[in-house]
Amino acid sequence: MEKYKTLIYKFLLLAGIIFCFNFIYTKFFFEKDLQKHSPIINSIRKVTDEKNEIIYLGESSNTTFREDDVDKRSISEMISDYYPSRKFGNINKEASHAGIYYTFLEAIPENSNVKTVIVTLNLRSFDASWIYSDLETALQKSLVLIKDHPPLFNRLMLSFKGYDIKSDAEREVQFKKSWTESKLTFEHPFPYDNVTDWDFAMAEKGILNEDGSKNSEATVLACHYIKTYAFQIDTIQNPRIKDFDNIVALAKKRNWNLVFNLMAENIDKAESLVGNELVSFIKQNRDLLVSRYSKKGVTIVDNLTLIGNDEFVDQNWTTEHYSEFGRRLIAKNVSDSLKKFYPKDYKDYVSANKKISSFYNDCEGEIVWGQMQTLTDEIAYSGKMSSKTGQKQDFSISLDYSIRNLPDSLKSISISFQKFQREINNDAKIVIQISGSRFKYQWNGFIVNDIAKSLNKWEEVKLNFPLPDDFYNASVIKIYVFNPTNSLMYVDDMKVDFEK
Amino acid sequence: MLFNSYEFLLFFPIVTLLFYVLPHKFRWFHLLIASCIFYMYFIPQYILILFATIIIDYVAGIWIEKSDDRKKKIYLVVSIISTCLVLFIFKYFDFFNQNMLALSHRFGFYYPEHTIKFILPIGLSFHTFQSLSYVIEVYKGNQKAEKHFGIYSLYVMFYPQLVTGPIERPQNLLVQLRQEKHFEYANFAAGLRLILFGLFTKMVIADNIAIYADQIYGDPMAYNSISVLKGLFFYSFQIYCDFFGYSTIAVGCAKVMGYNLMDNFKNPYLSKSIGEFWQRWHISLSTWFRDYVYFSLGGNRVKIHRWMINIMIIFVLSGLWHGANWTFVIWGFAHGFFYIVETMIIRMLKLRRSANETIAKIVDAFNVVKTFIIVSFIWILFRASDMHQVKLILKAIFRNIHVKDDFHVEPKTWLFLLLFIILDSFLFNTRFDSWANAKPVVVRWSLYSLLLFLIIVFSSVNNFPFIYFQF
Repeated sequence: MEKYKTLIYKFLLLAGIIFCFNFIYTKFFFEKDLQKHSPIINSIRKVTDEKNEIIYLGESSNTTFREDDVDKRSISEMISDYYPSRKFGNINKEASHAGIYYTFLEAIPENSNVKTVIVTLNLRSFDASWIYSDLETALQKSLVLIKDHPPLFNRLMLSFKGYDIKSDAEREVQFKKSWTESKLTFEHPFPYDNVTDWDFAMAEKGILNEDGSKNSEATVLACHYIKTYAFQIDTIQNPRIKDFDNIVALAKKRNWNLVFNLMAENIDKAESLVGNELVSFIKQNRDLLVSRYSKKGVTIVDNLTLIGNDEFVDQNWTTEHYSEFGRRLIAKNVSDSLKKFYPKDYKDYVSANKKISSFYNDCEGEIVWGQMQTLTDEIAYSGKMSSKTGQKQDFSISLDYSIRNLPDSLKSISISFQKFQREINNDAKIVIQISGSRFKYQWNGFIVNDIAKSLNKWEEVKLNFPLPDDFYNASVIKIYVFNPTNSLMYVDDMKVDFEK
Repeated sequence: MLFNSYEFLLFFPIVTLLFYVLPHKFRWFHLLIASCIFYMYFIPQYILILFATIIIDYVAGIWIEKSDDRKKKIYLVVSIISTCLVLFIFKYFDFFNQNMLALSHRFGFYYPEHTIKFILPIGLSFHTFQSLSYVIEVYKGNQKAEKHFGIYSLYVMFYPQLVTGPIERPQNLLVQLRQEKHFEYANFAAGLRLILFGLFTKMVIADNIAIYADQIYGDPMAYNSISVLKGLFFYSFQIYCDFFGYSTIAVGCAKVMGYNLMDNFKNPYLSKSIGEFWQRWHISLSTWFRDYVYFSLGGNRVKIHRWMINIMIIFVLSGLWHGANWTFVIWGFAHGFFYIVETMIIRMLKLRRSANETIAKIVDAFNVVKTFIIVSFIWILFRASDMHQVKLILKAIFRNIHVKDDFHVEPKTWLFLLLFIILDSFLFNTRFDSWANAKPVVVRWSLYSLLLFLIIVFSSVNNFPFIYFQF
């Protein structure tokens, strides 16, 4: 009996020690660990600190833009344009899915100001290759410390690998198994039992060029589309369903308005590469999700077929990365769905379908153009900053824009900006560069000092340039000041108007 | 299942508690099931390979015991070949094919290219050797054949030492598995102490310095000579702390249930010669080779050149045991070479320990440093993936004197390593459990608390599997 007593006393002593450890760890080490292993905590804290009412949870679709986008902001920032009186926040993490979002949402304190939650619903996240992705281990690891347990317990779980930890090889086995074991059923006779068979058949048959030869690049992409989209969501087995269900339950508990933002997929490409059957599977899954979660009272924004092939940034892979135009369309769709929660706050800030022909950059850093690293606070015409050129910094801020996003029938460009220089510079030029695969490259340079050459004071530079007749065959137009000299020239308040 | 996983944090107390709750007659079954679960956590189907080995040697043991001398030998040879065949197929088949293919290209004969590649079952070399040890001991008459299939299976599969040893002898473990164990506080406490120290060694020391060793071995030419030498130093401690840590946890897990496993390490980096190093490093393997191979070859009761050959055979086999790669073979050869050179120098110069204690201590210290440096350099062969990487490491050491790099080691890593080196020195020729037990209760519990805190808060968050799992 004595030995059991000793044991009990020692276990009690150990419990006391662990209690003290938790205090020491929380006080002196936890924050450093959080910043090192779970930096996403800062975005979650920001939601509370900034008293955000509406929050958007997204993955790379909310952090990616195309090089020629003038407005490089995210979807969530574009949504916030429509509700200027409401405080918007966002939590973004690449490769995230509903399981990750759920942990983020759980970590938001109950006394926060959050009223509405917009969750990205990515159809691909239901597919085996995403469920068993090799990125999953790192994602799961980043969540351990933010879970709602005592900090010392979370650190113990991190030390003892208490999360879904698997090697890349193990995960590959899992998704390959799923591709073979998950049966594909179709309403009319369909020759393939599963993804593996379909993929194999596509690889064998291939996508053919006009001359009948196999187009390897297109074939690889077609196979990839099959592996990514050819699945049928099993509401019992698919872990994402459980994750989204958990989010629904949490939103109900916290009394949040819940919006699922079903992202657009490249349906055009799926159809052209693989065919209607694949599109049917995609739509079947979409219908299932829309129906399931509408019944649960969730607002679903269905963007699945909203965006055409040209607006997808990645043409050789399956992603939900959209051009500025695509992001605007989604933002408009989501903001429309928010009207029912905030009817009086909606402001038609900018029509999503309207094509813009006027551009302005005050060089204060808020409007993102190319060459933002040239901004300096050494001198400014308006505000605090201007763009500095010269002395090995050859290019000023630059408007890089996709011509297909411009209105039709444009005839000329009117450019104006303020410039400051201390000496005459006959080499600095304002450049209009037009390029595209179906267009003969044009580089038009106009010496700035031929237009305005005042020294030591700000002076406006104005220029009109007629657009070439075949302008709409080109893809991109770039406008900037080029100064390859050692003589400094500052540029501010650049305005570009395309005119009819 | 890994000792440093949260699954094991649940598995261990449940298995231990059930062990003491169950009557003695059910314990073998309980431990066997627990061991199967432990093993099947990796690749479940590979347990069939383990069972194949178990069945072969179980039957062989009984037949050897029953038979006359001539048949005995046949059964022994058949058993050894069958057991080694499993090892060969899974561990050496690919290596053999690659070399045969290279030879066929060089000498122009036909050898078919095989595309089959097997994933090496975890701990195959360990349990193969433990199984072989049983049949050899039965053959020699030192051990009675085990008739109880369950108990024999447990001898091969006993979970604490199943995947990376210590490689036990039947005289030690099999006998204990039949004994009734009662809860003894001293064993229980000693076992927990060893587990605590083992986890600290693996998770805080080995895994934290592994990052730096990997960094250097990943791209040696990008680093300055000094940084590469630091990388070598870190790897020497990584492999020691990794394997020593695992063995200590294994011994501790068994001790908690009252089973005594052999010690696998005794401060190897305090050895004064390569010979002594092998008496202190991976003791269960070196004694296995000594007892079953070296002595069979005649040991040192032969002429000098024959003795040298015997030594080289043992070390080359030991290298090959570790891995199917020429780097391991050369690693074993290098140890054999230095062992012979050291022994010959001592013999020829008739070196003896100085009578002057101070001089003797200085010489000892010099020898410890010398042995550590030799061993650390030979570890390059062990760690490198191929001979090309070995060349790169050596090139970086001797040529990158003026290369600037950004190799920065966190101060806490140095601090932990220093703490371990101090502890390891205190533990010279003793074990952590008995050393700690002799300390006053306040010192003892302060030490436990410190180790526990370091394990929870300062363990590496990166996943570094136990190095010896691959063997």
